[in-house]
Amino acid sequence: MKKFILFILITLMSTGAILAQEEKKEDKPVRAPFESGILIDSRTVFNPVKKTLEFNIQHRFAQIEDFNNLYGIYGASNIRLALNYSVMDKLMIGFGTTKDQKLQDFQLKYVILEQTRENTIPVGLAFYGNMAIDGRNEDVFGLNYEFTNRFSYFAQLIISRKISYALSLQLAPSFSHVNAVLPGYEHDKIGISFNGRLRVSPQSSIIFNYDQPLEIEAIYENKEPALKPKANVALGWEISTSTHAFQIFISSARALVPQYNMMYNTNDFFDGGIFFGFNITRLWSF
Amino acid sequence: MKKLKKFNRIALVIIALGSFLLFAFTLPQEQKTPEEWDIPEEYQTMENPYKDDNSLDRIGKMLYAKHCKSCHGNKGQCDGPKAKQLETWCGDFTAEEFQNQADGVIYYKSIIGRDEMPNYESKIPDAEDRWAIVNYIRTLDD
Repeated sequence: MKKFILFILITLMSTGAILAQEEKKEDKPVRAPFESGILIDSRTVFNPVKKTLEFNIQHRFAQIEDFNNLYGIYGASNIRLALNYSVMDKLMIGFGTTKDQKLQDFQLKYVILEQTRENTIPVGLAFYGNMAIDGRNEDVFGLNYEFTNRFSYFAQLIISRKISYALSLQLAPSFSHVNAVLPGYEHDKIGISFNGRLRVSPQSSIIFNYDQPLEIEAIYENKEPALKPKANVALGWEISTSTHAFQIFISSARALVPQYNMMYNTNDFFDGGIFFGFNITRLWSF
Repeated sequence: MKKLKKFNRIALVIIALGSFLLFAFTLPQEQKTPEEWDIPEEYQTMENPYKDDNSLDRIGKMLYAKHCKSCHGNKGQCDGPKAKQLETWCGDFTAEEFQNQADGVIYYKSIIGRDEMPNYESKIPDAEDRWAIVNYIRTLDD
């Protein structure tokens, strides 16, 4: 795993020096490395311009089984609706609500650096953080209930590199924390995400996402954690227009709030744990 | 009597179908012809700083597909999937009359807009990208 991460890091950094040497008069930020603030199950360094309202619809069908459940489409789905507002060109705040566990999440994204065309700044860098509140009935939480038991957090640093006109990649280390867990489970998880898009026509791209929760014994609370979450693998297609981005994909994650993915994913993409899903993003400028 | 009823029913179906077809063909033609644009003088004389900049060809094509194609169509003949919903006809970019306009005029119409033609200043904030679209529209002249 370490070798894999190292390989990705080296690829990201080294391509920077070779490519992106377009000759332009002034060094402006690269053209939209991504079309939407969301890429399947991850966030991107893209932030709509100031005073833009972004509406996200994330829909995940049930696990693909057989024709009887129409490959997951007839099963119980998970849905997240969110509104994000760009307060500044580089700062977005938002609120989302999710069907599973009635999660209510508040989120923030800040673009720290934008990659430039002349390579003065070789990568894009953004911080994404959220806080989610489990909105289910109190009795779900068992004895010694406190309101803060409902809280969970996610913090992520997104490093992106637009390698060419067609290819943009991201690497994003993250930290997840859940306030209340079952005995034997971990409260914290460090993870890493690798994702990107390959433009295949002026409007369409192939998109992929890989989230790997890392097993770091140094931060284990239990000798042997009760659950070692599985990696999330996703592959899809994106179509974008002036104000919309549509993504349709298969993914091995059912959770739509990232910390639940990193902490609790038990689906193995290569062992039938696959779900159909789609995301729709709509932008309004004011 | 029965025959008459049957005849009436057939006549009704024919009338309904006929009027449907009539409406189907007449509606698009009811689109308004666009009124004269009031272009500020600074745009009429505006220089295109990216004229003949071939490096922008791909960008212009990509941005046109993203922002313009849904109404203006592949070749700019106002035949995109949303064109029929417009109250006003959205022009023919292949026409000589259109192509005879100055670059600044096309820029104003495309980026500043009016009525049904939306403003794209915030969606396409970079001047280079805006001119890339103007340059691409210029290639639609055949």
